[in-house]
Amino acid sequence: MNTQNTKSNRIAIVGCATAPAVRDARGKSIEKTERPSYYRAALLLMLLTVITAAFARLSADTGTCGGASITLPFTDVPASNIFFCSIASAYFSGLTNGTTASTYSPSASVTRDQMAAFITRTQDSALRRGSLRAALKQWASPSFAPGATTTVGDEPRSVESDGADLWVANYNDATVSRVRGSDGKLLETWTNAEFPVGVLVARGRIFITGNTNPGKVFRIDPRQTAGDVAVLNSNVGDSPTGITTDGEFIWTANFGGSVTKIDPANGNASIYTAGFDQPLGILYDGASVWVTDSGDGTLKKLNTNGTIAQIVTVGSRPSHPVFDGTNIWVPNYISDSVTVVRATNGAVLATLTGNGLNSPELAAFDGQRILVTTFGNDKVCLWKAVDLTPLGSVDISTGSHPRGACSDGVNFWVTLNGTNKLARF
Amino acid sequence: MNYKRQICVPALLFALILFITAALTRLRADTGTCGGASLTLPFTDVSSSNIFFCSIAAAYFSGLTNGTSATTYSPSASVTREQMAAFITRTQDSALRRGSLRAALSQWAPTFSSGGNTTVGAGPLLVQSDGADLWVANNTDDTVSRVRASDGKLLETWTAADAAWGVLVARGRIFVTGSTNPGKLYRIDPKQPAGDVTLVTGSVRIFPQGITTDGDFIWTANAGGSVSKVDPATGNVLTFTTGFSEPSGILFAGTSIWVTDVINATLLKLNPNGSIAQIVNVGSMPRFPIFDGTNIWVPNSGTDSVTVVRASAGTVLATLTGNGLTIPWTAAFDGERILVTNAALGGDSVSLWRAADLTPFASFSSGASTGPIGACSDGINFWVTLQIPGKLARF
Repeated sequence: MNTQNTKSNRIAIVGCATAPAVRDARGKSIEKTERPSYYRAALLLMLLTVITAAFARLSADTGTCGGASITLPFTDVPASNIFFCSIASAYFSGLTNGTTASTYSPSASVTRDQMAAFITRTQDSALRRGSLRAALKQWASPSFAPGATTTVGDEPRSVESDGADLWVANYNDATVSRVRGSDGKLLETWTNAEFPVGVLVARGRIFITGNTNPGKVFRIDPRQTAGDVAVLNSNVGDSPTGITTDGEFIWTANFGGSVTKIDPANGNASIYTAGFDQPLGILYDGASVWVTDSGDGTLKKLNTNGTIAQIVTVGSRPSHPVFDGTNIWVPNYISDSVTVVRATNGAVLATLTGNGLNSPELAAFDGQRILVTTFGNDKVCLWKAVDLTPLGSVDISTGSHPRGACSDGVNFWVTLNGTNKLARF
Repeated sequence: MNYKRQICVPALLFALILFITAALTRLRADTGTCGGASLTLPFTDVSSSNIFFCSIAAAYFSGLTNGTSATTYSPSASVTREQMAAFITRTQDSALRRGSLRAALSQWAPTFSSGGNTTVGAGPLLVQSDGADLWVANNTDDTVSRVRASDGKLLETWTAADAAWGVLVARGRIFVTGSTNPGKLYRIDPKQPAGDVTLVTGSVRIFPQGITTDGDFIWTANAGGSVSKVDPATGNVLTFTTGFSEPSGILFAGTSIWVTDVINATLLKLNPNGSIAQIVNVGSMPRFPIFDGTNIWVPNSGTDSVTVVRASAGTVLATLTGNGLTIPWTAAFDGERILVTNAALGGDSVSLWRAADLTPFASFSSGASTGPIGACSDGINFWVTLQIPGKLARF
């Protein structure tokens, strides 16, 4: 309603001022011959006044912010408005376009649909500008440069970043590679980690699952000279794969049908089997541990005592999920889909298909984007995390079999299981 | 009658089907196209023709809105100021949570019980990150430790930093206060092999502790009763004494230098010429504060409290107590959370708050008889110096 008022007020002012002036000018032009000089001067003055007034009214508003003079395209935000600088900031940073090209309608109420635009633009802008990628001018969408790969061990599976280096579990040769994130240089190779699959960086150590029966969890102290990994526990249940931490304990998802909770200080483990078929992936969302059960197509929320608090039905053979701060993204290997689950209540928000999904294996998050590796067709697929919209997929060489992935805050890193490489995206 | 019923049944059934179809259509969630993909919302009042459909979808999927009910968003309704508060704080929270380096590294655990400590020098006090490594001032053995953040490895030990106290990372160098009489300011060039630190000036006033920079000059808070302003290029020193009793902590909040005064129980805002622009009363014996981008958090070691001061106006927003505060000493900020060390013997813990709303998280033990004192964030972890065992702990 205020928009209308503002508009009609301005039109009224312009209309009332110009129309009579034109009429006057025409009407009194007859008298021009009688008293030419007086009339001409008066008319000129009147016209000038009117034009100046109209122009001032229509011209963009200028105010002072941070000591600088700032001009907005809006004609309804005078410098005297105490929100002038806020409106200027919202306009310059792209959070608002105004109600028209030349109006902001400062006194109008905000509707809920306009509000959705305001807050999502604000969130996008903060994430885009606040990321380390912005500070490092890494604006390019990820692309695959075959040259920018590092040769690691035989059949690399998971990879995680410690903030500086990447840690890669190489399944077939029982090694763990340490690769420098800044330049991709292979720094170290740790040995004697039997069938390593999952990697976790926690309390300055690297923890790795050994996919044996009974399963193992290995530990690396990155401060030491590379050598054999240490064994934290050699009886954690059959075939551990995924690994995470709640800050106090380490949790593993064991494909043989259990979940294990381990005290990292002494290696003591509790194994939970009730309700689990084939646990595969596991994550902690800041409040709870969640496990994908590839046997029964579910995502299970756990209590701290290992009992199941909630069961969410996802697609067929869910694999390695990721948490984006709000939602859990679950790649479903058989269904060729990704289920997005709200962590706070376990509600399924969406089931995403297409965008190149073909036997999706693992999801990773970099603060803005979700990356999913697709084992079946040698791609990585990307989504914008906040609105679940697809950003396309990137082809990798045939037979590369992308499998593990993580972000280090600047790049995504993907293990190529078929070609024994770690690739930067 | 029978004949009539036979006609009626299919007619009724047909009507029922029509009605159910209509009802379902009306109540069905709305589907639209965003970024080339078909998205379905739980709301039945946001049609795909709404030009804000994709904004509403993004707000819903990223958790910024729950709608006005499970099935309605009420797109044309006005936003009240109380709804507005929820919208903007959720937006701020979400942007901070998702945008942090911790999110990109899947470090969602709130904190890890102290472990993986690094042994540094004797009597470590303050610590700062250069983005990759931590620099620790070891007061008792006059050394500075360089510790790699990614794995906590001790990389280097720099020597001859007499009574090292405060640490500043600025212009690619490390500056360290030497809390002696007269006070000293040391410099380390991290590109060089570790050795003795370089003396910038030996004429800082008595007992410098805290150290900061306004971008041009280095400022030190000197417990002997002054504040010094040092030109890092020349080592020239200006010392200001008027109005100061026992300055301890010092920080630059983007526009002004702020200093805590232990004896006067104040937080002082300084002018560039060292005169006092504003005096804010805080708790007893304030120590090493931190700026979170909006507010200054002042740990008051004498009153087991933290005073939160709005930097733009100098108003006290809140005085926080409880949450394990026991002789709180140093505050640190990681973009989302404030950490305060509880240096008292028997305190031996760190307390955490959410910076955006001042709500307490919890406190975490640093181990018995550890004396946690200095703290900083490297963007992923908090790092805390344990004065008694001479260690640097990751949280």
